[in-house]
Amino acid sequence: MRALYQIVWLPPLMSFVLITGLIECSIILMDLPAYLAPRPSAVALALWMHAEELLKATWHTGVAALLGLGMSALLGALLAITLASHPLIRRAFYPYAVFFQTVPIIAIAPMLVIWFGYGQGAVVAASFIVSVFPIIANTLTGLLSTDPALLDLFRIAKASSLHTLFKLRIPGAIPHFLTGLRIASGLAVIGAIVGEFVADSYEDGGGIGTAVEIALKEQRTDLVFAAVLMSSLLGLLIFWLVSGLNLLTLKRWHLGEFKDS
Amino acid sequence: MKHRQGAGLKLRGIHRQFEGRPVLNHLDLDIAPGEFLAIIGPSGCGKSTLLRLIADLDQPDQGTLDQSEEDVDVAFVFQDPCLLPWRSVIENVALPLELQGVPHHHRMPAAEALLKTVGLGEAQGKFPQQLSGGMKMRVSLARALITRPDLLLLDEPFAALDDITRHHLDDHLQSLWLNHPMTVVFVTHSLSEAVYLADRVVLLSAGGGDITLDYKVPLAHPRTPATRVSTPFIDHLKIVSEAFELLARTPE
Amino acid sequence: MMDRAPLRILWLVLVMLISSACKDASDDPGVGTPFKADIQLNWVPEPEFGGYYAARDSGLFDQEHLEVELKPGGPGIPTLQLIESGQVTFGITTADNILIARDRGADLVALFALYQILPEGIMVHAERGLGGLEDVFKGGTLAMEPGTPTFKVLEKRFGFHQIHVVPYTNNLAPFLHDPLLSQQCYVTVEPIAAKRAGASPQVFPISDTGYNPYSGVLVTRREVLIKHQEEVHRLIRAVKAGWIAYLKDPTPANQTMHQLNPTMDEATFEASSKVQTPFITGMPATPIGQMNLERWQTLSGQLVELGLIQPGDTQSAFLPSE
Repeated sequence: MRALYQIVWLPPLMSFVLITGLIECSIILMDLPAYLAPRPSAVALALWMHAEELLKATWHTGVAALLGLGMSALLGALLAITLASHPLIRRAFYPYAVFFQTVPIIAIAPMLVIWFGYGQGAVVAASFIVSVFPIIANTLTGLLSTDPALLDLFRIAKASSLHTLFKLRIPGAIPHFLTGLRIASGLAVIGAIVGEFVADSYEDGGGIGTAVEIALKEQRTDLVFAAVLMSSLLGLLIFWLVSGLNLLTLKRWHLGEFKDS
Repeated sequence: MKHRQGAGLKLRGIHRQFEGRPVLNHLDLDIAPGEFLAIIGPSGCGKSTLLRLIADLDQPDQGTLDQSEEDVDVAFVFQDPCLLPWRSVIENVALPLELQGVPHHHRMPAAEALLKTVGLGEAQGKFPQQLSGGMKMRVSLARALITRPDLLLLDEPFAALDDITRHHLDDHLQSLWLNHPMTVVFVTHSLSEAVYLADRVVLLSAGGGDITLDYKVPLAHPRTPATRVSTPFIDHLKIVSEAFELLARTPE
Repeated sequence: MMDRAPLRILWLVLVMLISSACKDASDDPGVGTPFKADIQLNWVPEPEFGGYYAARDSGLFDQEHLEVELKPGGPGIPTLQLIESGQVTFGITTADNILIARDRGADLVALFALYQILPEGIMVHAERGLGGLEDVFKGGTLAMEPGTPTFKVLEKRFGFHQIHVVPYTNNLAPFLHDPLLSQQCYVTVEPIAAKRAGASPQVFPISDTGYNPYSGVLVTRREVLIKHQEEVHRLIRAVKAGWIAYLKDPTPANQTMHQLNPTMDEATFEASSKVQTPFITGMPATPIGQMNLERWQTLSGQLVELGLIQPGDTQSAFLPSE
């Protein structure tokens, strides 16, 4: 029989109950009005009452975030391979990859609207811009940290540089790439929501960004927090999805990667 | 199919230094085709450097290195098994053939056959992570031999293994060499392993790589576990050990 | 007010943490010292606050023995939350926001209403030859912040079925870029900017729909009004005098505000203050700042109908003029 603390879902559940309980009690004790700080119970009620529209908004944002993350994975990996191909290319272009990490998305988001039009295009682009850097950086690290002994092995076998790239360096970089993807998964959600603030299309009710915006305008702080909670859950869901992919790909090798995740 | 007996090597005045410190100091060495040569010596005597120069992974500062034939096929076994963790055992063994462009239906049976000779016929579908250290080393040996190399270089391949596993692997290596005629250069820090396997043992001195002993081991192959406890073996080992001890006690 | 506020969540948390610590920061000025009042503006200095700067610069606050600090706002300033939590004593917002905040439990009282007519509208390209608001909703794109009462009024009245509704982010580029895009605007701001950028804008006022909340409303908490009734009346008097002075000659206050907000040039200040005048004086002309119960009740009924609030008392939502 397993000890109680070994049950995977129990520790997070316990911390959840503890933290929400603490917040609930302190709001009651400090006598804070709901329009300044909604009680967790009020947020839960808002979640329940607006479940359908919140789920629709989460789906809307989730699709955009997954598309953004997918683009980041594809283009980020390709960019990393290009950067890894030659030190000169790396020196010349890597500084610009850092641009993606530092770009104030809120500042360029209105331009995304001009380039991609309103709706999903611009939202996905925002999600991509925010999430691509950790994938480039991690994949590049992976591509450049190939075991020198393995490189010697390929040199002795007179492997071409293409063979070395595809049969050694790229597969060897996959764990790094997946680490980047896990970091990027939360960022992709944030990027999509910021994108929605400026570029969402309201036809089907919009995404979480729009839901937050509407709740703010209606001065419904409980609903604001409910929407924020949904975005956290979405981030968590995508993170789990990526971790699952991680596990599927890597469980046969690099077992060490999983001892603590 | 190759019908060679292995490649011979002629090293003349090989000099190699790192950061001004000579590791190999004008070394001359001849290796006969098909010979099993063991190189021993204290740490820092340039054993590994010598092996890397022969493998063309490194270039000498001075000196020449001639091979007896054109287009010699070299294989290298590292101290670490160096298996690709994302490939199954058989895919690891077949890798050198794959890199040469040998089609799947030719390279896989070859890899399978070779795995059987190192006693890993059952493990071909497993992944490196699932194998013990000794098994990984056997996979590494099989991979090195898959191209039927003319020259096999081994850099302390069994150093990380326990004695029993090590003795087994010595026997595997010997039988592979007997079945696939080739030249073997074997770097080890175990004197008894060197004497047990080699036709000829070369002892390098520290800090310059002078050959202080070049000893032919006149025991017939194949050698067996019984050889290890036979009087002639112990006598040869004693000669090599005395030379080694003398070197170890001589200040540089 | 249609100010954008994604940052409000952060503010909210900060306000929540600080509010209990300094709830009564602005209490009791004491004998002899002037009453300290800070007024949170909901945007950067612009003609819509001209009367306040006029009152400050020409010593009208001093005459009433008040020490007033005007706090400029900007995008994302959570004016309402700052007032509700007592971070500031007074603030500027719109009548509909006040009623919604009251419905959520904050006891706010309107003191002075600048605009008799809501100075908000939908701006379109004049080339389209549209005849009125109803034509705007027959096609093209509309850039507008979601969730505002105005948004809901338009949605209910005209329907958004034939039109593509997208966010508005205080950025004119999409309008200039797309001849079929219409957008929300303040009559005092965006049309002037669009004209200068070479477009020919046409504006349909929101008030055409019958939805016409007071805006540019000075507001405080009931608590403040009860404790400092006399001082509050003095403040209202000074503000009113400030606006009368500003309407007579906006130039000095405009110059002050231009210093504080250099991105808006003096010509724009002048044009903007000219445009806003009829929205302040009203149709028919109403004494400056004055509010009446009937309009508050109408507004309350409209917000109830939009599902934004429950029916409630409007009598106590504002301070009738003396």
